Amino acid sequence: MSAIQLNNLAVGYGRRTVLSGLNATVESGGFYAVMGANGCGKTTLLRCMGGLMNPMDGEVTVDGRPVADYSAREMAQRVAYVQQRPLTDFEFSAFETVLMGRNPYQRKLQNESQADWDIVEQAMRQTGTWHLRLAKLDQVSGGELQRIMLARAIAQQTPVMLLDEPVSNLDVAHQFDIMDLLSRVEGKTILIVIHDLNLALRYCPRLLLLGDGGLVYQGPTADGLTPGNIRRVFGVDASVSDGYVRFLH
Amino acid sequence: MGDGFLWFGFFFVLLQTDFEAEPEMSAPAHNTRRYGWLPATLAVLLVAAVAWSACSGVVKLAPSELFGSDIFLNLRLPRIIVALLVGAALSVSGAAYQSVFRNPLTDPYVLGVSSGASLGAAVAILLGLEARVWGIGLLALVAALATVWLIYRVASIGNRLHTSTLLLTGVCLTLLLSAVVTFLMVLHQDKMESIIFWTMGSFGSASWFDVALVAPVTAAGVFVVLYYAKDLNLLLAGSETAQSLGVEVEKVKRMLLFFTTLMVAFAVSACGVIGFVGLIVPHCMRLICGPDNRRVVPCSILGGALFMLSCDTLSRTLLQPAELPVGSLTAIVGAPLFIYLLYRNKKSY
Repeated sequence: MSAIQLNNLAVGYGRRTVLSGLNATVESGGFYAVMGANGCGKTTLLRCMGGLMNPMDGEVTVDGRPVADYSAREMAQRVAYVQQRPLTDFEFSAFETVLMGRNPYQRKLQNESQADWDIVEQAMRQTGTWHLRLAKLDQVSGGELQRIMLARAIAQQTPVMLLDEPVSNLDVAHQFDIMDLLSRVEGKTILIVIHDLNLALRYCPRLLLLGDGGLVYQGPTADGLTPGNIRRVFGVDASVSDGYVRFLH
Repeated sequence: MGDGFLWFGFFFVLLQTDFEAEPEMSAPAHNTRRYGWLPATLAVLLVAAVAWSACSGVVKLAPSELFGSDIFLNLRLPRIIVALLVGAALSVSGAAYQSVFRNPLTDPYVLGVSSGASLGAAVAILLGLEARVWGIGLLALVAALATVWLIYRVASIGNRLHTSTLLLTGVCLTLLLSAVVTFLMVLHQDKMESIIFWTMGSFGSASWFDVALVAPVTAAGVFVVLYYAKDLNLLLAGSETAQSLGVEVEKVKRMLLFFTTLMVAFAVSACGVIGFVGLIVPHCMRLICGPDNRRVVPCSILGGALFMLSCDTLSRTLLQPAELPVGSLTAIVGAPLFIYLLYRNKKSY
């Protein structure tokens, strides 16, 4: 069953088209790597799937229903989205930030319940950020910030998670921790933007490879990260053997 | 007069206390700073301030004679009520603006919205709409909304608001609009009680009529801001994040900006332009009870009313029988605080 469907999608900013003629199916429960060169439209694609920007043409459907038909609240109960560079210039603590992930389930004028607090604590323990709960976001490191944001997405308890570069600022150990955590999650559809080809090969079974203003490849990651595709998308020569990419640069 | 300084003392103490020093957290109280005493204290102080204001002035009144006194019933009481309402309206608007614009230095005065409203009100008076009940308020509202819209358009780049552009636009508009008001006033001196009324603000002419105009609008505006208090928190995390966490960002921003601007417009048409209230009151509250707007907004209602009434009472008792423009008193407190906030902001980056 498909969780997200892209039909002849075209997106862009102002008069500039970033992606066009995009057709793709994101299977429910899949763990996808979204890859491509800088500025090729990975973030734009994720924002479109999350209903945060409107397509110029075509449509995005989530659970078979066009994104435009969802209210923000309904969307937030289905799709969690974590920005690449979240804003940190405000006074809320890490705990309060993760608690915001429970907002889609609360009514106006309704406060958080004990259940919300427990969900937040669990999400923060999973991502190893519980000890940072009282810290302000501009006092934590880049990697800690990414893990706090991931905790918020987990606390949001959505069937779909869109994570824009969730491991790019992490040290090696935390990269493995987070990728292990994401691949252990069952029943969720996860799309992550990731630049490390080897991490993608090791952890993400599915791949959406973007290039030339459209989709270059969709399918199993191992079949997609070929020397030819890497050459085409990144302009770098590489060899692939035993599930490892070796650059010949 | 001596007790007047107590109120200022109160605010200065708030500023100087180190509220960042939080007690050690114990699960599950993850983020609850103790703040329950704040609304209670503010409420007690508010009652005391009302009593103080009711009794003092050129004509001293004993509490027992208040309700038999024309001076109290027809002059002081409406003045007190309008001051309370305007204080609450400006402070709540300031709290909302600071979250919607994601900028701690914004309030209706800094952004020029108050000046816009005063221009609208002045034009209404010059056109002779004074007699029509809603004429002044309506034109003030239209001019204030136009100001907000202009600022928003100028300062939004992509889907972000550019901080320095926002503030600079506000400062320019404030200067421009108040210059136009001054110009109009000089041309039509006969129609004005005084130019100072519009440029520095005054509750001197507050009547029951003003109460009837300002009260319903303030009640509606305050309710709307309280209703969206949680969304205001999410807006602080950025529009995109707020949207992805279930906030209808555009709709909520429009609602909040409309209703807060409505409050400001009616406040200005009742008492002229009073600066800095909307800036310093929410900040004082935030320093004590943290950034959560579900606390900041209710405390700002009480704190704003208290601050405005204290300033107004001081303005008419400090140099009596002369009356100081209340705007000059709020500026004496507000401007140094504004600079202090800029300074503190600088250090944190």
